[in-house]
Amino acid sequence: MPALEVIGLQKEFGGVTALAGVDISIETGKIAGIVGPNGSGKTTLFNVVAGVYKPTGGRVLWHGKDITGKPTYEINRRGLARTFQQAMSFSGLSVRENVQISYEHGRSHSATSQRKINWSSPDEILSFVGLDRVANELAGSMPFGNLRLLGLALALSTNPSLLLLDEPAAGLSENESEVLTNLILRLAEMEIGVCLIDHDMFFMGALCERLIVLNFGTKIAEGPPSIVLNDPSVVEVYLGIEK
Amino acid sequence: MILAFLIAFPLLNLGYRFLSLAITTGVTAIALYGLGIQFGQAGIMSVGHAAFVGIGAYTAAIVAGMFGIGFWLAIPLSIVMSALCAGMVGLPSLRVGGQHYIIITFCFCALLQIILTNGGTFTGAATGLDVGSIDHLFGINFDQLRNIYYLVTLVLIICLVTTYLIINSPYGRTLRAIRENEMLARAIGINIGLHKIGVFMVSGAFAGMAGILQAYYLRHISPILYGPFPSLYLALMIMLGGSRLIYGPLIGAVIVSFLPEIMRLDPIDSRIAYGIGLLIVVLLLPGGVSAGLLDIYRRLRPRSLK
Repeated sequence: MPALEVIGLQKEFGGVTALAGVDISIETGKIAGIVGPNGSGKTTLFNVVAGVYKPTGGRVLWHGKDITGKPTYEINRRGLARTFQQAMSFSGLSVRENVQISYEHGRSHSATSQRKINWSSPDEILSFVGLDRVANELAGSMPFGNLRLLGLALALSTNPSLLLLDEPAAGLSENESEVLTNLILRLAEMEIGVCLIDHDMFFMGALCERLIVLNFGTKIAEGPPSIVLNDPSVVEVYLGIEK
Repeated sequence: MILAFLIAFPLLNLGYRFLSLAITTGVTAIALYGLGIQFGQAGIMSVGHAAFVGIGAYTAAIVAGMFGIGFWLAIPLSIVMSALCAGMVGLPSLRVGGQHYIIITFCFCALLQIILTNGGTFTGAATGLDVGSIDHLFGINFDQLRNIYYLVTLVLIICLVTTYLIINSPYGRTLRAIRENEMLARAIGINIGLHKIGVFMVSGAFAGMAGILQAYYLRHISPILYGPFPSLYLALMIMLGGSRLIYGPLIGAVIVSFLPEIMRLDPIDSRIAYGIGLLIVVLLLPGGVSAGLLDIYRRLRPRSLK
């Protein structure tokens, strides 16, 4: 049984259809990628799954249980964590306190049996993502790359079994992007599922075992990167029709 | 050092006037610690805090008048009543935030004043209610001003310690997370609604304690004490003193209560002084006087100690 199953998910904002019946299933311990042009519904999909928006139609199943429309905190407590496109943090607090808050909630809300990693302290998480040297800095004063890592650390400290990463590599330098790639690969080794959104095809192609392509709120292709990226309909979406 | 000063204060024999001013300041500071947690930690301002002080005071006066329940037994009643009302007034905060919620707190405060004024014999209408004296406990006579001072100081110290414990607990950190970024707080598993209502109740509990102390100190309460104007003073104090640091509320209460007395300002002049003071603090010391003092202390300290 897949960890996360999305069945016929629909979301409309007024007259705009952001998701027009999307079916996706994601397993833990694998890296899946969602790609698609701007406005294709990638972030909306994450927001509906994570409980930020209620869907207009369709269902979200988590280990077979219906979690459609449950509040965000409830979904996080069941082991489904997400990061934000805007690299959010508790900017007025120190980096350590940021992670400590998340760590304390992760520890009190997740059952020991469902934990993939048993973090022993907030500092362990900080050194895992490589932020231990800036632990005492104010989160808001950090450069963008570190903020991305902090966002990942915050999601990780809640002991998720599946992580939804919204454009984790956007705005990162090549070096930072490589650090992130290694981190994501290590998460997959730890049996934590990762599902990410990004525009960078090279980054996604190298990292993901499976790619899902969205366009105008519908899934147009799914499969291993080598096949998906050569699919004529995907090429059409990105480059236009060859005449 | 501050503790020693608080205990020695009545021994300075500054006279009846200063002692009663110190009691008022202490009662105000107790209420302010509640607002300090709500505004400083959770980041939710209220300009209706005096309403909950009033609910505490009126609860004490009404149960004393109707059932003959004295000061000591009325304490938990006042605290619970204020906390419950604060929690209920907090319900709209789940839907509206920021300035909109501040207006709701203001409206509630104005509404409460109208209800109290029109409550007939139940609330004593505009003239208010008389309150008896505090029953003797362990042979201490609370008719003496000095003993009321020590009682208020004891409660203030308990509030200060409670606030310190809250600030440094996982609960305090959760509130700060909500203050900094609600969306992210939700995403890491924090039930925002529950914690918002919770912090209003904590804040209301402090106010209720202040209310019953005030009722038994003044021996007479009336609606004018708990209207929008006293509420604005509480908001002013918390902003002047600073809400995030442990001594902020105390400093705010002391400045606003003692400044007109020491500088011999009349009520109109003092309001102008508060206005100017608030402007200066907002522009120069965004964290309030307490944060400003801490900053100066850090700068004066030799760098090697950092």
